[in-house]
Amino acid sequence: MEFHIDKAKVLPKENLEKFLEGLKKLGRLIAPVRKGEKFVFDVIRDVLDVEINYTRTILPPKKFLLPYRRERYTYSTDTLEFKSSFRPVEQIIFGIHSCDLHGISILDSVYLRDNPDPRYLEVRKKTVLIGISCRPDEYCFCLSTGTAFPDGANWDLFLTDIGDDYFVSIGSPKGDEIILKLRKIFREITKEDLDRYKKSTSFKKALFEIEKLPDFGRISQVIELEYDSPVWEEEAKRCLGCGTCTNVCPTCFCYTCVDIPDLDGRKVARVEFTTSCQYPYYSLVAGGHYFKPTRADRFKHRYYHKLVGYLYQIEKLGCVGCGRCSAECPAKISMVETIKKLRGTADEEELREAPEQTTTG
Amino acid sequence: MKKSLEKLLNKPLPGDPLLPHKALITDVEELAPDHKKFSFTFLDEKLNSSWNHIPGQFVMITVPKAGEIPISICSSPTRRGTIELTVRKVGRKTEVLHRLKPGDLVAIRGPYGNGFPVEIMEGHNVLIIAGGLGIAPLRSLIWYILDRRHLYKEVYVLYGTRNYESVLYKEELKRLRERDDVKCLYILDRIETEEDRQWTDRQGLLTELIPEVDLDPTETYVAVCGPPVAYRFIGKELLKNGYPESQVFVSLERKMECGIGKCGHCQIGYKYACVDGPIFPLWDTKNLPEMI
Ligand SMILES: Cc1cc2nc3c(=O)[nH]c(=O)nc-3n(C[C@H](O)[C@H](O)[C@H](O)COP(=O)(O)OP(=O)(O)OC[C@H]3O[C@@H](n4cnc5c(N)ncnc54)[C@H](O)[C@@H]3O)c2cc1C
Ligand code: SF4
Ligand code: SF4
Ligand code: FES
Repeated sequence: MEFHIDKAKVLPKENLEKFLEGLKKLGRLIAPVRKGEKFVFDVIRDVLDVEINYTRTILPPKKFLLPYRRERYTYSTDTLEFKSSFRPVEQIIFGIHSCDLHGISILDSVYLRDNPDPRYLEVRKKTVLIGISCRPDEYCFCLSTGTAFPDGANWDLFLTDIGDDYFVSIGSPKGDEIILKLRKIFREITKEDLDRYKKSTSFKKALFEIEKLPDFGRISQVIELEYDSPVWEEEAKRCLGCGTCTNVCPTCFCYTCVDIPDLDGRKVARVEFTTSCQYPYYSLVAGGHYFKPTRADRFKHRYYHKLVGYLYQIEKLGCVGCGRCSAECPAKISMVETIKKLRGTADEEELREAPEQTTTG
Repeated sequence: MKKSLEKLLNKPLPGDPLLPHKALITDVEELAPDHKKFSFTFLDEKLNSSWNHIPGQFVMITVPKAGEIPISICSSPTRRGTIELTVRKVGRKTEVLHRLKPGDLVAIRGPYGNGFPVEIMEGHNVLIIAGGLGIAPLRSLIWYILDRRHLYKEVYVLYGTRNYESVLYKEELKRLRERDDVKCLYILDRIETEEDRQWTDRQGLLTELIPEVDLDPTETYVAVCGPPVAYRFIGKELLKNGYPESQVFVSLERKMECGIGKCGHCQIGYKYACVDGPIFPLWDTKNLPEMI
């Protein structure tokens, strides 16, 4: 995404409510709301429910692009006529953090590049994505994955908190139209706004505790080289195989498809539903053969797919550092810790201290 | 926004790659216990005449009420008009399929996957190694090559299965053995009955036939399909006999739910069996974990 600074606008914070009201008129408005201690993306009736200050939602906004259950077709068993009753609505997803925008861009690549999935494309065409800047907590590691900022992701508008105002970047013609429609509540940027914007983005960077972040340099190589490492076995011992880590992940897309006949068996619904590579039946075929028989195989597969597989398929890592899998794992398994363990003790700091040894080899 | 995506989002919706097409079962042949060969024609005449596939590719077939399954195409694209699939009854969907009769409707989409590199194989020897049901996708390759015989040098077919009863395409394979432009070596796990003996006097494993193949390995392309357990042994034997691993192709099976690289089920290492395969050079087994 190119940055058109000249096209950016400023939204005074006191106009946020008006902005949301304006968005609501364009379609179904989806935004983060509070749910007990946590946050979720939900359809908004009252714009006052929208929670701007959240760290992460339980599920990523993916659920409004790829819901848990999707009907592919229905067909009649007499005529085998396949019909789709799929009718997506215009929707605006507001308040998406940068990592989740990157997550959606990854889904875009998977679903739209080769053999585009027409249902996903239809939803995607009818969806406006509006991002918002955020502050990391102890689970976030998007700085390592290069997704802490919206650059390179697909979005329409992005709001950066610059104090009393939002700096609004425009990422697409669709975003531009929205600004045009609601132009009364925006103002032009000044040199001062731009300075505040620069400060705000470098401030976000400073909020990360760099020494606690995982090193994603050469990560694919690390995973491949450590394919037989005992770390997988050790970590997998604690894993419950519950699949939470994949369900909450903004980039996971695997699904299973089943035909469900109605009561008299004359009409069948073909339904896709989200699955998890952490479930044993994921790789089960006839004769009871499992291609990924053990918990450790499945545990390792998740890391392998995200950090090697996606790169091969879409030239991007399959992790955007949102921290959901670690924050929600009932066994407190942390992706960051697993990666650190895999990188092992012969870490780069040690190597730096003894450069002669490594350069002569 | 990425240019490619921007283009896609602004284009009209593409055709639905997941939409199956109605096909009529025109023939069902019982090949062996639990193994049937089904012949199909599409109701849409245009589709029948435009259908083309590469040997080794597969289709997703809708078994009404039961669901979709991936099945290799066992007919050759050189013989147009019908598509044939050979299906072993192993579970719920294949059981429902086995109950269907000529005149019944199914739905088919495809063809999917990469298929064997038939064009690269041209001008070379071809060694075809089939174990059990693995003969199904290879039947497509055999007829493809024999129908364009002048493009290939020596052709060998090695086929091993349990006993005569489980031999698929019995008549065809008998006739194949009588041709002088292809060399056939058949083997059975056990020779017990008179029928077994008439079929072949060779008892043992498929791998035993490999050293008997009289070909220059570096001038030969090898296509292997069989039960997953066999690949390790066959692969080893081929390498031992000097066949380059980049010229040995194996067909792999995985669970499949979409056939077009979307559902994720068929991952082998960093590749997808449905779009990057199901045919892989043996060379890939070095780089793809859990491949064979
Ligand atoms: C590329 C490819 C080509 C194939 N070609 C043939 C062929 O020519 N002839 C043939 O008889 N079989 C073939 N198979 C295997 C065939 O798909 C399975 O036997 C079939 O899916 C079993 O379905 P089921 O419901 O009867 O079995 P169940 O045991 O009830 O299986 C449950 C589900 O697991 C999956 N599954 C089970 N076995 C397999 C398997 N071996 N491969 C992939 N998914 C499986 C299916 O989704 C199936 O519905 C092929 C598989 C692949 C991937
Ligand atoms: S959430 Fe944790 S316990 Fe559950 S499958 Fe994932 S790693 Fe295992
Ligand atoms: S793997 Fe974990 S941290 Fe990475 S994107 Fe998925 S849920 Fe977020
Ligand atoms: S079958 Fe769905 S990704 Fe290969």
